[in-house]
Amino acid sequence: MSRIRVGLEIHLQLNTQHKLFCNCPDPQAGQGRVEFRRVLRATAGELGTLDPAAEFEMRKNVVIDYVSEEGTSCLVEADEEPPHPLNEEALRTAIITANIFQSDIMDEIHVMRKTVIDGSNTAGFQRTAVVALGGAFGYKGTSVGVQSICLEEDAARLIERTAAGPKYDLDRLGIPLVEIALEPVEMKSEDVQSMAESLGRTLKLTGLFASGLGTIRQDVNVSVGESGIVEVKGVQKLETISKVISYEQGRQLWLVELAEILKQRGVSEKDFEGEPLDITDTLGEGLKGNLRAFCLRAPGFSGLLKRETVKDGRLGKDLADISRFMGFNGVIHSDELPAYNIDEAAMERISAAMNIRDGDAYIILKGEREAAISCLKSLRARLMMALRGPPSETRMAMADGSTRFLRPRPGSSRMYPETDIPTTVVSETMKREFSLQIKDWDQTVKEFMEKYQLSRDLAVNILDSDYLNWFTEAMERYDMPPSIVATTLTEVAIMLRREGLGQLQRDSVFEVFDLLNKGSIGKEAIAEILRISLKDGLSVKESIKRLGLTGISTDDLRTIISEELEKLKGMDNKKAYGILMGRVMERVRGKIDGSIVNEEVRRKLGI
Amino acid sequence: MNTIDFKPGDLVRIKVKSQSYEGLVMPRTQYEGPEHITIKLKNGYNIGLSLNRILESSVIKRGDEAKGSEATVIPSEGGQVHGDILLLSTGGTIASRVDYRTGAVKPAFSSKELAALIPELGSIASFSIRSLMSVLSENIRPSDWTMIAKAVQEAFLAGFRGVVIAHGTDTMHYTAAALSFALENPPGPVVLVGSQRSSDRPSSDAATNLIGAFKFASSSRSRGVFIAMHSGLSDDSIAIHLGVRVRKNHTSRRNAFHSVNRRPVAYIKGLTLNENTVIGGKGEFIVRPNFDDRAALVKFFPGMKGSYFKFLVDEGIKAIIIEGGGLGHVSEDLIQPITEGIKKGVFFGMTSQCIWGSVNLNVYETGRDLLSAGVVPLGDMLSEVALAKSMWVLGNGLNATGQMPLDLRGEVTGRRWLSVEQD
Ligand SMILES: [Zn+2]
Repeated sequence: MSRIRVGLEIHLQLNTQHKLFCNCPDPQAGQGRVEFRRVLRATAGELGTLDPAAEFEMRKNVVIDYVSEEGTSCLVEADEEPPHPLNEEALRTAIITANIFQSDIMDEIHVMRKTVIDGSNTAGFQRTAVVALGGAFGYKGTSVGVQSICLEEDAARLIERTAAGPKYDLDRLGIPLVEIALEPVEMKSEDVQSMAESLGRTLKLTGLFASGLGTIRQDVNVSVGESGIVEVKGVQKLETISKVISYEQGRQLWLVELAEILKQRGVSEKDFEGEPLDITDTLGEGLKGNLRAFCLRAPGFSGLLKRETVKDGRLGKDLADISRFMGFNGVIHSDELPAYNIDEAAMERISAAMNIRDGDAYIILKGEREAAISCLKSLRARLMMALRGPPSETRMAMADGSTRFLRPRPGSSRMYPETDIPTTVVSETMKREFSLQIKDWDQTVKEFMEKYQLSRDLAVNILDSDYLNWFTEAMERYDMPPSIVATTLTEVAIMLRREGLGQLQRDSVFEVFDLLNKGSIGKEAIAEILRISLKDGLSVKESIKRLGLTGISTDDLRTIISEELEKLKGMDNKKAYGILMGRVMERVRGKIDGSIVNEEVRRKLGI
Repeated sequence: MNTIDFKPGDLVRIKVKSQSYEGLVMPRTQYEGPEHITIKLKNGYNIGLSLNRILESSVIKRGDEAKGSEATVIPSEGGQVHGDILLLSTGGTIASRVDYRTGAVKPAFSSKELAALIPELGSIASFSIRSLMSVLSENIRPSDWTMIAKAVQEAFLAGFRGVVIAHGTDTMHYTAAALSFALENPPGPVVLVGSQRSSDRPSSDAATNLIGAFKFASSSRSRGVFIAMHSGLSDDSIAIHLGVRVRKNHTSRRNAFHSVNRRPVAYIKGLTLNENTVIGGKGEFIVRPNFDDRAALVKFFPGMKGSYFKFLVDEGIKAIIIEGGGLGHVSEDLIQPITEGIKKGVFFGMTSQCIWGSVNLNVYETGRDLLSAGVVPLGDMLSEVALAKSMWVLGNGLNATGQMPLDLRGEVTGRRWLSVEQD
């Protein structure tokens, strides 16, 4: 079996005060909001060649919409003002990070422009700089090599994608990221995942990085045998890493096999000669407006476009994704026919028109002439690549661990210097002084258990959680049992997320803690209040009202206890305790803290 | 430290304490010190290494001899010019590109290359490119205006329908004003166009501005000089400003250029031209391309000394355009030196530093004093336009006091509408 090599790239948002090249954000700013629309065009890189990924994307010719709000972005993010000099706080953090891995820190930092014309960067490029090269990370007694540590700006946040094109919010654009690229390793997928976890924990303990969902993202580079590297972008959750690796392994091994099958079938590059043809009339179905149907012969591919070894890992799906990327609604291929109003008779006519032989497949694309032909030529290029196994490309990780085609893998020609930003010199003193004693994970867990009286599991969960900083903040603010706060931020958060209710809202969580701290609600009500508030978009107060949880006073409680005790007249006090407690709790659950009820019941019973 | 003999373009291997790096030696700018070397790694990143840290180094492959950073100008295409539009390139970032390997700025594309980069241009009109000069807009001189005016004249004589002039943006409105006076009743539109984001970046406004300029130059019935630039933040609307009523009002935004005291003449949305009005009549095409640069633009400020005017007059300046405060005022102690200058035959014209609105020297006493001293109020003429106009008036032997306050090309508007906003 072929060797699998996996390279991890970890991107962490820095919690610096400002973005990498401007003074955003500003919490004091107004609410002003502006929308605007841009078109990006590919340009030649520094060495004069057009980057394949950029060129590929340019063919799409999409229009991009942006939203800018005063508090989170300024003229710099809108590409209406040159970038300011490199944020020194961010550079300091990157140098500290480099020192953690004994990476060789560069003497000068040169900011580069990396062409990205999917619209996620208004300028059409992402600004990025190598801060350090080399170094190592210790994992389970082995040393994993570090390739590079880069400082780069985060991309704009995609808020929707319509037929007209994508729409981005500029709030995230320009937030500093540290990218740590590890040398490819030959490890089991589970080991790669736990290595990533261990690395993430080490970095989290430095306190230099932001926390919360999306503040840490992994790219996973997978290659099988001698094949090109497939870069899988946007793995948001650690738990998905091993799934992504296994998926890619399965998918790429199938592509290796596919190349072998094509070879056996005697398919070679010259079989791909012949242009896509207009088959609108052959098809005989009415198409709207300028739309025509075009067909491309896929020599020797019969039966191979629909075959899959992992879910949705069909070549046919990749072809459809490429076409979607170029603005089409997918393709029809002969492996799935007859269907889509194309019957056997029509298939025979197509075969005759396209000179389809036994063992061949074909692909049909509907659209305007020029665009459709250009797209079919890209598909033909992809089919030809199948002769050589899995191609080097960039794919996107899906939530279930599968991957989808995103774009061809960009080459080095997409890099050119950012001439608007002066080179920053890093002195030997800076290299020495910007360093940090890193904390040991096990030791930190132990300290946490002791300090907050938490179980090991709860301590680990809260340390791993996106809400760790809310926990420490709540501990400073309130005198509440740490386990209740930790449980809310871990178990309750996970439960609500699994219910599809998304992330906890900071304001609601702290309002609930506030009420809990005052004894106005019981801890039993926390999950219920947060659930209703997320589900129905209610404020905490509204949620409490909806749940009928408006708190009750101690006097009211005493009245209820007396009422219930009346019903148990004549029962032994010790026996009555359990029943009384149960009945009272039934009436006051969530409205007042259970420990107060317990105290009052015992007092009433004199036990 | 090693003796290092690297030249830009060489492929080298460099060893430092813990690592070894391989890459292309890159040229360094004059602002980057000699203590470091810039290497382009195989993945495209540039890194800077201190020469002090280099333990070992070797050249793997010598590069081509680095070319000088002198700009090369692509000559006019075979002397044969043809088509609907002539694109005159004068420099600036719009029709230029940077050779990153040598750092040289190449100020022009061939029409073929440009058409390949911006396919829309070819669909709008056939065109030729003439590279007239390669000058950063801050270095443009009145003598360059003469050269450009003559080139425009030649283009119309050669049968072009319209002329598009690629120009740096800093002084584009001065050139637009100058050409407006030099070219009376041009047979078709003369459109200046620039870019606020250099054309070497995917987000450059160069392409959309050029598309707008080409569209207007090839299909508008207006005759005159105009500026085509973004009308807003978006890439979907280009404003066409009258050359004598436009100003650069922002250092970096795409929509830096604004029409002042009037609306833009037209907008181009996508590839559609929406004209508010048609400029220019049937008059004969007259070219008076000369400029006399013995004119000055002086901004009044509190504490300004009268000796400044005396200095200018002694230097031989023949026309002084003052940017006065508000309706056109200067402090009272400046009236004496101004009066002396006028007595020596120097023309003094008054404009306002307020940008919007008109001067009026009748409202306050200082204004009336200036009038009686012989200062000529220039209505709502923009100060930059007044400067270019005074150079043109001087250069063509016209009477300044007589010609300057007249509305020759739309530079003075008698009526200002409430509905024209100041944005
Ligand atoms: Zn900003």
